[in-house]
Amino acid sequence: MTFSFIFYLIINTVAVLAIAPLFMSIIKKVKAWTQGRRGPSVFQTYFNLAKLLKKEVIYSSHSSWIMRVTPLVNIAAILVAALFVPLVFVPEPVGGIGNIILLLYLLALAKFFMALAGLDAGSSFGGMGSSREMSISAIIEPTTIIVFAALVFVFKTLNVFEMFITSAATGTPATPTLILLAISLFIILIVETSRIPVDNPETHLELTMIHEGMVLEQSGSNLALMELSSAVKLTLLMALIINLIVPFGLATSLTLGTIVVAAVMFALKGTILAGIIGLFESSMSKMRFFRLPSLFAMAFFFSTLIIIIEVFA
Amino acid sequence: MATDDSSGIMAVQGLVGPEIAASRITPGCNGEYYLHVGETEFGPLVTSLALHKCALIGLFCTEGFVSASRFSLLYVFEYKATVLILVRNTGGVATSVARLLPSASWFERECRDGFGIEFDGAFDERRLFLHETYPEGFHPLLKSVRNEPVAMRSAVDPAEEYPFRKVTGVGIYQVPVGPVHAGIIEPGHFRFSVIGEKIFNLEIRMFYKHRGIEKLAEGKRPQEVVHIAEAVSGDETVANATAYCCAVEKCTGTAVPDRAWYLRTILLELERIGSHLGDQAGMLIDIAFPLGANQFAVIREDVFRMNALLTGSRFMRGMVEIGGLSKDIRKEQLEELGTFVRQARKRYRVGLKIVLSTSSVLDRFAPTGIIRKSLLRPLNITGPAARASGGRVDVRVTHPYGIYDRCVPAPKPLHDGDVLSRFTVKASEILDSLDMIERLLASMPDGPVKTEPVVKDGYTLALVESARGQNLCWVWIRNGVVERYKIRTASFCNWQAIEHALQGEIVPDFPLINKSLNLSYAGTDL
Repeated sequence: MTFSFIFYLIINTVAVLAIAPLFMSIIKKVKAWTQGRRGPSVFQTYFNLAKLLKKEVIYSSHSSWIMRVTPLVNIAAILVAALFVPLVFVPEPVGGIGNIILLLYLLALAKFFMALAGLDAGSSFGGMGSSREMSISAIIEPTTIIVFAALVFVFKTLNVFEMFITSAATGTPATPTLILLAISLFIILIVETSRIPVDNPETHLELTMIHEGMVLEQSGSNLALMELSSAVKLTLLMALIINLIVPFGLATSLTLGTIVVAAVMFALKGTILAGIIGLFESSMSKMRFFRLPSLFAMAFFFSTLIIIIEVFA
Repeated sequence: MATDDSSGIMAVQGLVGPEIAASRITPGCNGEYYLHVGETEFGPLVTSLALHKCALIGLFCTEGFVSASRFSLLYVFEYKATVLILVRNTGGVATSVARLLPSASWFERECRDGFGIEFDGAFDERRLFLHETYPEGFHPLLKSVRNEPVAMRSAVDPAEEYPFRKVTGVGIYQVPVGPVHAGIIEPGHFRFSVIGEKIFNLEIRMFYKHRGIEKLAEGKRPQEVVHIAEAVSGDETVANATAYCCAVEKCTGTAVPDRAWYLRTILLELERIGSHLGDQAGMLIDIAFPLGANQFAVIREDVFRMNALLTGSRFMRGMVEIGGLSKDIRKEQLEELGTFVRQARKRYRVGLKIVLSTSSVLDRFAPTGIIRKSLLRPLNITGPAARASGGRVDVRVTHPYGIYDRCVPAPKPLHDGDVLSRFTVKASEILDSLDMIERLLASMPDGPVKTEPVVKDGYTLALVESARGQNLCWVWIRNGVVERYKIRTASFCNWQAIEHALQGEIVPDFPLINKSLNLSYAGTDL
């Protein structure tokens, strides 16, 4: 393990934790603007997390150790997953870090524990949320695999780091098919981060909840960890899209100048993508639950198309 | 209601059949007709009314109405413009008509809780508004019961707990929701029996915050009860106050000045606009389309501000009084209202266009939560919910009060009965109400806004079309004070529609369907 890799571990984790709440706030802000509201401050998510971290945790008397370990397992799995997706600086990959299949299953591990915690407290809404999340996961999984397979096909590697190095070298999308792939990745981002039209992160209606239903019984610092991990998850999926499609500025060598430029560029590109997510969410209502597979089918279609193009090109 | 007594009596005669002598049908003060019936003729008479497609729009009990008997049950039937009240005397036990007229079920349970009347042969004998924590044998509406805090039971034997309908089978499970909800809404319990996401059965239980409004009104001077009527349901303030005042004015023969009726009508329509806008915004929030919701929420807020400017209260409290209004509205303020109406119409059209051109919204609205037309009369479903299912029911048209006979547009019913129809019906009603306000402002007469009422004993029934539908109010003044004040809001009947609208739908669609019906908890739980 080289010095640059250790440096990468530190800088990536710090960057993702620092910027993830900001992207959450920007999405909220853009949504508020489209509705003609002023919206909360862009630092509101930081304030909320700070507030929740200070609050006491209350456990339901029906809950078991699952409820207690889930926030930790969740944030741990997501933070490790975040190491697989470099935000500003791409070092030489070490060991299995950066393996796209492992990345997928780290996210699945976090989701699995979240669903268990939803069931654990014994409330009907948690169970409903878990059941819906698992149904959606089961349907989206083949799509996700095909999308990632298309990525692997395009870059001829399983490692995210190597993909980023290839795309950073050109500065523009490595192949035109990547633009098509961005559509699939965007749909996966929407589904995985429980946003409209799949789920409504701002609802108070328990009966319609998916992700919110599962974390309904979480409180205090545990809730802060759950919210932080969904923010980090959003950021790492955004980073995947940004650094594959618009990689210019991404640092591949370790100098102060390139790192600073890369960080500023990432923050800018992330803000624009967060704005696009906000506009996308504002443009439509939530879909009827049983119509969701048609959304996934779109991602599936595009990535299958890419594989066909790559095979016959 | 029928204006001419002889033609009205003939219409009633047509419903009850030739066996009942016309001389027994007595006209009431507000165009309704009373018929005292004996126990032997009651059964065949109700059957005949049911066959004549009369709707049972109200059933309530009152004590000491006739000297011969302790209790009288008043069955209010409606057929087109005719309202007939059957007065049935009872000592405490009566036969149930709920199997013939399903809307009677909740009415009878309400009478049972309030007065201890037992209904033989009822298919549902559970408690209604007095939950099991109230002591057995406690019937607050009896004249012998003093209005004071009651000793509630701290523990309830499991055998006495409210029995929900049990749905059993492979894969069926129960989802209890409420009475405490995540949002700031009133309490209600919803018991879903679901298979996966599909709703097999929904049972609702209301009445978690009984306030004793009817009891509170008793013994008060008629003027004091106006404020109680206003408190029945916040966003039906003007409608309920108008219903009550109408009844008292008819009883006492108080003529309301024209200007007062013009202004009252404007307030009633503003209330309707505000309520419908709130529903539409809520429906869009529930499907996560806040962009569209805010188009309406902003106009709704402006309506409230307009209300405050005109009346000094966002909910227009303290305006309607017996004999007219508590104060006049100045000319400049009415002009401001005129400007507001013109702007609001433009902005509303823009919002409507955004929403109705968004395919994902239409996909959620249609065909969700269908209420079949065949349910309307048996359950007495009224208001926009009925008009979206093909019902031509609108009190403003069938029983015009005040100046509505001159200014109301004909109802434009839709026939699909789904959420989209309810949304569209409300949209067209908002535009109609805006037009109506503009016309009223243009032809506003001058003059006083109040006639001092002379309190006189009597009783009568008044019907008013609130934003949610038909509100019924029966007032009996005796010795100068209110002896009985009965109010039945549209929500009381419309709540039962939701159990039907939900069958076969999926759980995540419940909030949307619920919001599209816009039911008042407070208006149901008096």
